[in-house]
Amino acid sequence: MKALMSVVALIGVLGLLMLIGMIFGVIPSNTIRLVEGYMPMQVLSELAIFVAGFAGLSYLANSMGVAFPRFWQGVLFWVFIQTYLKFRIYPPIPFSVRAMYGTVSFVAVFMWVSANEEDWKKFRQPILNVLDANTGFHKALRTMYLILLPLLIGGFSFMTMKPSIDEPIELRTVHPAPPASTKVHGKTYTLQTSQNPYRVNLEGKYDQDYSNKLIVEQGMGRLMAPNANPWDDKAEGYLKYVREGGEIFFQNCHFCHGDNLNGRGLHAFAFNPIPANFTDPGTIAQLQETFIFWRVAKGGIGLPNEGFPWASVMPPWEQHLTTDEIWKVILFEYWHTGYYPRTWD
Amino acid sequence: MGSVTRTKLMSIMALGAMIGLLLLPILVAIPALASDGGAPAADEKKEGGDAKVEKGKDVYYKTEGIVSGPPAPKTTDSEKDYPRYNFESRVLLWFANQQHLYYGSFVLAVPIFCMVIEFMGVVTKDKAMAKRYDQLAYDFIKISLTAYSLTAILGGILIFTFLTLYPAFFQYLSGIFRPVMHIYALMFVAESGTLYIYYYGWDKMKEGFLKWIHLSMSVVLNVIGTILMFLANSWIGFMMSPAGVDEQGRYLGNIWHVIHTALWNPLNLHRILGNMAFGGGVVAAYAAYRFLSAKTDEERAHYDWMGYIAMALGVAFLIPLPFAGYWLMREVYAYRQQMGITLMGGLLAWLFIIQATMIGILFLSTNYYLWQALGRMRGAEKYQRYIKYLVFLLTCGFLVFITPHTIVMTPAELKAMGGQQHPVLGNYGVMSAKNGGINVIITTTVLSFVWYMRGNKVSTVSWSKFGNIFMGCFFFFAYLNIILLAIYGYYIPANVRVGLSVPQVATTLSCLFFMFALNSVMMKGAKQMGPIEWGKISARSQYALIMLATAFTWMMGLMGYIRSSVRLFWHVNEIMRDNSPWAYTHTVGFAANMISANVLFFWISIMFVFWLGALAAKKAPVEAKAAVPGRAAAPAVGH
Repeated sequence: MKALMSVVALIGVLGLLMLIGMIFGVIPSNTIRLVEGYMPMQVLSELAIFVAGFAGLSYLANSMGVAFPRFWQGVLFWVFIQTYLKFRIYPPIPFSVRAMYGTVSFVAVFMWVSANEEDWKKFRQPILNVLDANTGFHKALRTMYLILLPLLIGGFSFMTMKPSIDEPIELRTVHPAPPASTKVHGKTYTLQTSQNPYRVNLEGKYDQDYSNKLIVEQGMGRLMAPNANPWDDKAEGYLKYVREGGEIFFQNCHFCHGDNLNGRGLHAFAFNPIPANFTDPGTIAQLQETFIFWRVAKGGIGLPNEGFPWASVMPPWEQHLTTDEIWKVILFEYWHTGYYPRTWD
Repeated sequence: MGSVTRTKLMSIMALGAMIGLLLLPILVAIPALASDGGAPAADEKKEGGDAKVEKGKDVYYKTEGIVSGPPAPKTTDSEKDYPRYNFESRVLLWFANQQHLYYGSFVLAVPIFCMVIEFMGVVTKDKAMAKRYDQLAYDFIKISLTAYSLTAILGGILIFTFLTLYPAFFQYLSGIFRPVMHIYALMFVAESGTLYIYYYGWDKMKEGFLKWIHLSMSVVLNVIGTILMFLANSWIGFMMSPAGVDEQGRYLGNIWHVIHTALWNPLNLHRILGNMAFGGGVVAAYAAYRFLSAKTDEERAHYDWMGYIAMALGVAFLIPLPFAGYWLMREVYAYRQQMGITLMGGLLAWLFIIQATMIGILFLSTNYYLWQALGRMRGAEKYQRYIKYLVFLLTCGFLVFITPHTIVMTPAELKAMGGQQHPVLGNYGVMSAKNGGINVIITTTVLSFVWYMRGNKVSTVSWSKFGNIFMGCFFFFAYLNIILLAIYGYYIPANVRVGLSVPQVATTLSCLFFMFALNSVMMKGAKQMGPIEWGKISARSQYALIMLATAFTWMMGLMGYIRSSVRLFWHVNEIMRDNSPWAYTHTVGFAANMISANVLFFWISIMFVFWLGALAAKKAPVEAKAAVPGRAAAPAVGH
């Protein structure tokens, strides 16, 4: 047990040193990179390793009779989580989410330190010592808190009430609810039931299973499925339409949405927010093809009331493309990202 | 002897009368249901002589029916359609509705608890335990009795609010539901009658055969209550997903279609479970309040036990609640995609993040209470040192579960993030991750329960080592399966991903049922490390119970608001438009304040009900006192 805990403690210490080193620039910040596509599990795994490491350290310290005070364990662990969220995760997490995470981790630390009476007593003892002020040191601390706390609260209130010239926060509705139907080039499409007419098999019938097998592989590689190269001269049916969609995409869309469809095109950073990143699992992967059809056709000015603050410069492509071209470009977007359009069957 | 026979006879007659009351409205309804409410059409035919019968197409069922009612009124922003005080009418209605719902849920849930606890008392062989259960059931029903009259008063206020502030809408809705309106009223009479006999007959029917009669009454009482709730649910189901009417909102003569709308059944299930969890929470809070104000060890022991039972019953219904909610949302998406997106991806998405936070708080409070409860049993110390790992699992699940898809941020933050989608948070913000998060939370809660159940025991079965390893592996692979399925969800089509929730839920429920069962078998005849010292639990645990109940109340208010506001500017979705000046969606901040005000009012008023209950309380019965948990001669070991 002791050997195991020593190993995890060592891993914890190494991880901590590395994190501190990366924060202060002593070691390159990309020494251990967060890899796109694997980041979510990587973050959770790193946190798990740190927790195990801290548990190992605490165990070893206890075995050696130099137990680290529970109060400081709790406080420092919370500080560690905030530091990790602030400096490890890139791009930076908006304050609103960090505040949520900070609150949850605060509650978690409280639950840990007060889970049983013994721990709770250990945790609150330093607080009680300061409140009781039986020694000169504690008396000085108490007096300091007495002066600092009102000042801090006063300062916080002042900062809150002070008129701010910062941009206000926005709650942008990324995916506003679509209308039941949309009219494009004189034809009405019911969004819940319409289908992409080019998502067809070799017999020309609508076949999502067939097209699903021919999309590129998700993840880092983005490899094409065997014998599924749309740019092959012999490509027919669905793959041929994907190629045509790709041509339309590179003639019209890639300037903003980017060569890799990740929203980082040539002109992308002229806008805020930058164009939608189709490779993110929260965009087209969550939506029906008809939703994309509606958004492409109607553009930013066609956003419904719900779509505030209407921050989209997407042109209404129905003014520039035919209906068939819109369907084909959508086909290409799903093929290229390796995502499947949402269906309800 | 003769007197006993007479009492038996009277009891059977009372039960018969109750069943009669239950069946009466159904008998009354049969002619209306049999004719499919066709009477008005027939009259019309007679009056018009050879006039052609007008037919309409059901907006949902797509069947044809004879037009049997007027179209939905096209209201205007006027005093006629929307009479008003110098105040927002919608807020008044919101308040009246919410308070009625809180009390309605409470009085429907508590009798179900009573039924379960009374049954446990009847079948328990241990006489002391049987009396404890019986006393507990009696305490429960006593609390609900005062709340019952408040429910009726609030129902009256609600109807008056509708009549005075939204007459055109209420007239239309009552016209549509005319065939069952009186059935609803009659069910109330039946509910009241049954409840009073059930409560006042408690002492008279406490032994032998009479006790079974009394128990049967609680079954009848709950059947009536459930039907009442189903009928009330049909109104909101109709408002969200109307059926049985044509495009103009004209009733087509089939009341079953009007009741059985697309969302009726998911709403029914969700509300039954929700009411039970809420009822458990409120009773647990009552017990916590009594525990904290208790003057003696006996009182503390009794209310500690009461709080535990109420919490356990509430949580038993809380665990399947997210799955019922999932089904409801799935049906909402199937009914109208726009409605689903407005709820979970669009306008109301942030309210769902708040809801996720409240669900997380519920489970966190439950776990915290259980960990505190380990402290009142000797021998449970061995589990306490591992609690930190459970905290970690819960926190990770919780953080993923509450990560928003639509992030609140300044344009500068948006720019720094490099677009609307964050490469880490974006993955946590979608359903696949959230399913994983909530299942991890629930599985951890199950694990906490298992630890609690074996806290002061050491298994003596010969295969206990194997059993422990098996349980450990089972939980390990359950977590692994849940997490891997959550990751796999990103790589498959959405319709398959939705289906993945089934194996995830199955994994969680397997932990619940198999591990509870296996644990029970392993702990049969187990060596006791010490008694459960009821009453010797930290005050923090009781605040956790109060937190649990408050979170339930807040979440009910929130979900009610979300469900209602998803209709946007419709009184009845796509049928009757809301043309009042208040047909807009409130800001998240206003809604949150309003919900908090409702919660505050409910808790102030329920404190009054608790106080009344305490005022009317008899001195604790002698036999109950003698059997106070933890004070009995033999150590109380049951949970």
